[in-house]
Amino acid sequence: MRALVIDDSRAMRRIVSAALEGFGYETRQAGHGREALDVLQEGYGPDLCTIDWNMPVMDGLQFVSAVRANPAWRTVTLMMVTSESEQSQIVRALAAGAHEYVIKPFTADALRDKLALLGMLPQEAVL
Amino acid sequence: MTLAPARAGRQVITALIDEVTVESIATEAWIALVGEDEVLVPLAGDLPAETLSAWVDVVGPWTGSVVLTTGRQTAADLTRALLREAAPELLDHEDVVDAFGEIANVVGGNVKASLPGPSTLGLPQVGAAPAVRNPEDVCRLGVLWRGQPLVVSVQGALPPLPSPHTPNENPHQNGASL
Repeated sequence: MRALVIDDSRAMRRIVSAALEGFGYETRQAGHGREALDVLQEGYGPDLCTIDWNMPVMDGLQFVSAVRANPAWRTVTLMMVTSESEQSQIVRALAAGAHEYVIKPFTADALRDKLALLGMLPQEAVL
Repeated sequence: MTLAPARAGRQVITALIDEVTVESIATEAWIALVGEDEVLVPLAGDLPAETLSAWVDVVGPWTGSVVLTTGRQTAADLTRALLREAAPELLDHEDVVDAFGEIANVVGGNVKASLPGPSTLGLPQVGAAPAVRNPEDVCRLGVLWRGQPLVVSVQGALPPLPSPHTPNENPHQNGASL
């Protein structure tokens, strides 16, 4: 399975990518929403996008809306991974089309649990 | 926990959050980001002369910044802890800005969630800490990480409110009332 990790922090991209690779994902990274849309338009077809909220150029909420507006990307699972933890923000993200919401800081186990709920754990990580 | 009473019109941070909550947020961030064995000891220490701060701004019913300040070498050590095996042999300033800023982002986002909302969170900034505008509007936590001092300061961006007028005070010089 493929994942696109979108975060303006290189350190956080490394942390999320390492966790996903540990579950069996192949990962790519993008530093903001616009760059992530470019990756999708290139034809990289991820099964999962993990998305930070506060980023320069294009934030995570704008990215979610852009992906949901394009029928070609309707099968991509969108997971917010962000320090925005106000209830109203979570509701906004889910209303815009995000499937799940993980609040930073998180542990690899918490990320695994969320992916399991979505049925998005690669088979080798389930065993 | 004892929170300071609110002043009419605008609450200072000590009426909204206390050091115990800030410590709990910082500890959770450290365990998840820096490492499971990394401990923050709630003891204040003297910061060295050469410090670096990372902060995020919160704008909402309470407006201010969540600022982490530590020695430059400790900020570099934090960066290596975050990057782990991905850390380059020689860290450049951008590595430290990125990693230290992300820690401030995570701590700040969770502090924001503890405050009345809705609020917005700014992007992380790294450099010299923003000035304290109102000493009453500061919640300051001193900790030690690997024996080195680090300060988490939740500080208001607004100056103190002017003292309220006394009942017989009239702002109109001719004494006329409106």
